[in-house]
Amino acid sequence: MANDPKVQIRQFVMENAQGRGITELGDNDSLIDSGIVDSLGIFRLVSFLEETFGVKIGDEEIVNENFQTISDIERFLAQKQGQTTGQARATA
Amino acid sequence: MAYILQQFLTNSAKQNPDKPAVWARGRTLTYRELNERSNQVANLLRSRGVEKGDRVGIYFSKAVESLCAMFGVLKAGGVYVPLDPLAPVERISYIISNCEMKGLITSGEKLRGLDAGKIPSVKLFLITEDKANGLDRPEVASWSEVDSFPKDSSPELQTTTTDLAYILYTSGSTGRPKGVMLTHQNALTFVEWCAEEFQVTSEDHLSNHAPLHFDLSVFDVYNAIKAGATVHMVPEEVAKFPASLAKFIEEQGITIWYSVPSALVFLLLHGNMKAEKLAKMRVLLFAGEVFPMKYLKQLADFLPNVALYNLYGPTETNVCTYYLVDRERLKTQEKLPIGRACANTEVFAVNDQDQIVRAQGETGELYVRGPAVTPGYWADTEKTHKMCVPNRFQPHFEEKMYKTGDLVMFDEYGDYLFLGRRDSQIKSRGYRIELGEIESALLSHPGVREAAALAIPDEEIGARIRAVVAPHEPGSLTVVDLQKHCAARIPSYMIPEMIELRDALPKTSTGKIDRVSLTNAAVAPAA
Repeated sequence: MANDPKVQIRQFVMENAQGRGITELGDNDSLIDSGIVDSLGIFRLVSFLEETFGVKIGDEEIVNENFQTISDIERFLAQKQGQTTGQARATA
Repeated sequence: MAYILQQFLTNSAKQNPDKPAVWARGRTLTYRELNERSNQVANLLRSRGVEKGDRVGIYFSKAVESLCAMFGVLKAGGVYVPLDPLAPVERISYIISNCEMKGLITSGEKLRGLDAGKIPSVKLFLITEDKANGLDRPEVASWSEVDSFPKDSSPELQTTTTDLAYILYTSGSTGRPKGVMLTHQNALTFVEWCAEEFQVTSEDHLSNHAPLHFDLSVFDVYNAIKAGATVHMVPEEVAKFPASLAKFIEEQGITIWYSVPSALVFLLLHGNMKAEKLAKMRVLLFAGEVFPMKYLKQLADFLPNVALYNLYGPTETNVCTYYLVDRERLKTQEKLPIGRACANTEVFAVNDQDQIVRAQGETGELYVRGPAVTPGYWADTEKTHKMCVPNRFQPHFEEKMYKTGDLVMFDEYGDYLFLGRRDSQIKSRGYRIELGEIESALLSHPGVREAAALAIPDEEIGARIRAVVAPHEPGSLTVVDLQKHCAARIPSYMIPEMIELRDALPKTSTGKIDRVSLTNAAVAPAA
């Protein structure tokens, strides 16, 4: 069973990237430059991450630095999962 | 007074040579630098065989070089063709062949992605990097060569205002992109109206959010340059992230913003914008699709001191009508007007009896005449004759008018209201249905973020209605909720039979909801 987040993230991204004729995606390839985030829509990716990994992603966290590459997404996710669950999240 | 677009640059460079003209990804060019660079590019293009009227593509992510390329091609007497850097290569190759492109200004990376064998018309590739790594072919020139060309003058030309300046390829509803030809005069008609209406000055900071192949960018670039102002190009990676985009607007001190409504809604809902940080903003323009009223009202409240304009017009005419939002009227308006004709343009609505309508409540198809109207589509005389028709209402001399295919109505103030595409008024069970009305009904539900209504052709009843909806919170809405909501607002024959819930709706390369791809997916579901 693939528990490595990178594998799951890559799988989700590739399902949507295939429509753009992209067959390979490295950990550090830009999702924006290849147009993947464009057709994917950043919100679908965010929904997928929230549902699959049980995190809540705030609007202010949806920035280039956290979503540029698969490595970035994994790093961001690890950060989120490391946060104490006791913290209350203020809703907008 | 300028009669060709590059004169805006040469004039402003004389007046304010050291003012910043363009900002992109942390780099700036002053008017002098942009003027000199574009002279050099023009001289290089000429030396490499680009002649008057030749098409030259611009194919790379936004950078200060984008403007060097645009003005360079114009100064060489060429016609530039902006290509979407995010489009599939097959589409790019098609466009290059379709207009028999002679030159292509691109990046090394993009060039490697192209199959040169498929685009034999291109005799010159100018890449935006200083070195052509692994691309040492005689037809490839690198940017470092640009510097070896004269910078104080550009080629002697006999360009007039009726010559083509650029070609914008738009998605044809029948699959293949169509090249809309635009002359200097077409662009100038629009730019001059904008300059007057928005009073753009050298103190302004214009954003450029739209891709360069989308005609909103004509305002961003040429109105900034004409006024001696600065245009700030929004990088593609910033545009995709709402918080980054909001930060961009604040940090760059944008005073005039122009985009599709979807981008503004995106910012409004997710950008965490603080009104006090946007104090410099004075004019907000939007075009390209209908602005959902609930979001427009929020925007108008959020930025009470900003002038909001709804601009309307197909690529074939750029903007032909405009409407300044009246905040008092807005409180009770259900539909935002597209307003009235811009200066130096005439529009009129023609009804089914082929008469021009002039009274309140009357509807007709909108026609446009005047110097804003395109001479037609590149290498497609059939489509040109279909859309650019002789003006039968003016028989004294030959003149064309553009048939928009849009239905409009006069309201009680003498403003036009957009009713919908002629072909989005469909028949189902014998009833005439406006897809836009169904979308409005869906959008009026507070849990709905985006909605699209589609007509799926059906042999029995004409068309079946389907909708695709993206809620604010995934899982918060059911199809039954939505159908009940619609039942309270629209007749039963208009309620969508099927509603698909998704996290987000697909967008076209110009940022609008991609109804064509949604319809195609619904008509032919994946096997």
